[in-house]
Amino acid sequence: MKIFDSQFDGLQKALELSWRRNEAITSNISNAETPQYRAVDLNFAGELDRAMLGKPSEVIKTNEKHLDISDNHLAHLAPDLSGATKPDGNNVDIDIQMGRLAYNSGKYAMNTSIMRKKFQFLYNAIRQTA
Amino acid sequence: MFNTVEVLAHGLSATRLRVNVLSSNLANAETTRTESGGPYKRKDVVQMAHGAQGSFSTALDRMTLSQPSIAAVIEDQSEARQVYQPGHPDADDSGYVAYPNINMVSTMTDLMSASRLYQANVTALETVRKMSQDAQQISTRA
Repeated sequence: MKIFDSQFDGLQKALELSWRRNEAITSNISNAETPQYRAVDLNFAGELDRAMLGKPSEVIKTNEKHLDISDNHLAHLAPDLSGATKPDGNNVDIDIQMGRLAYNSGKYAMNTSIMRKKFQFLYNAIRQTA
Repeated sequence: MFNTVEVLAHGLSATRLRVNVLSSNLANAETTRTESGGPYKRKDVVQMAHGAQGSFSTALDRMTLSQPSIAAVIEDQSEARQVYQPGHPDADDSGYVAYPNINMVSTMTDLMSASRLYQANVTALETVRKMSQDAQQISTRA
């Protein structure tokens, strides 16, 4: 039995992605009234699956001299079109962003507490205490 | 983490400067004489977003954040509002006094929306603090 199973990898990745999504949301809130600013969101399709299921990267090296980018992040900032564009060219909807902020931080808190519990199980098993 | 905090701090600072400029406009809505001569001129802020400082890997991962900053504070150049007040010390030969071009209603709404945005930034900052506290508690037992 592996001490640190693939759930640890998944949780770790989920925490990292939540954190990075939070960066995108705070950038939108900060720029909610900056003219011409376009809202962004984190596009992380595929990255979590890769960590949870241990899927290898889909990038294939066709030459041995190619750099290894299989560990690179798939997640990146992408345009967020959830809000309407205002006359000044800004398309941040502050209500949507505040909602996302709450949702995302709740998810982060949940994942940290699951991770804490998993470490606690390990600790109890090691110490043979209930 | 510090990247996020910095973006939010810039948001707070830009919003505060906007509130200061708006209050200055509000306070001087009836000022007819200034040191540079003529009535007070309404000031407007020019706010822009620019890429936050980040490492090479943030740029490579397409994770560069934008932070707001005040590019300039400009003076309104439109014609002053003319009010007929013959007895006024600042009246011209035909009895008109030049007042600043300040719309009370729009200034007040701008002020309210800026103050709400300031609150939103503080809430986001508080969330970031809470999240990093959650992360620190992963290693605590019980």
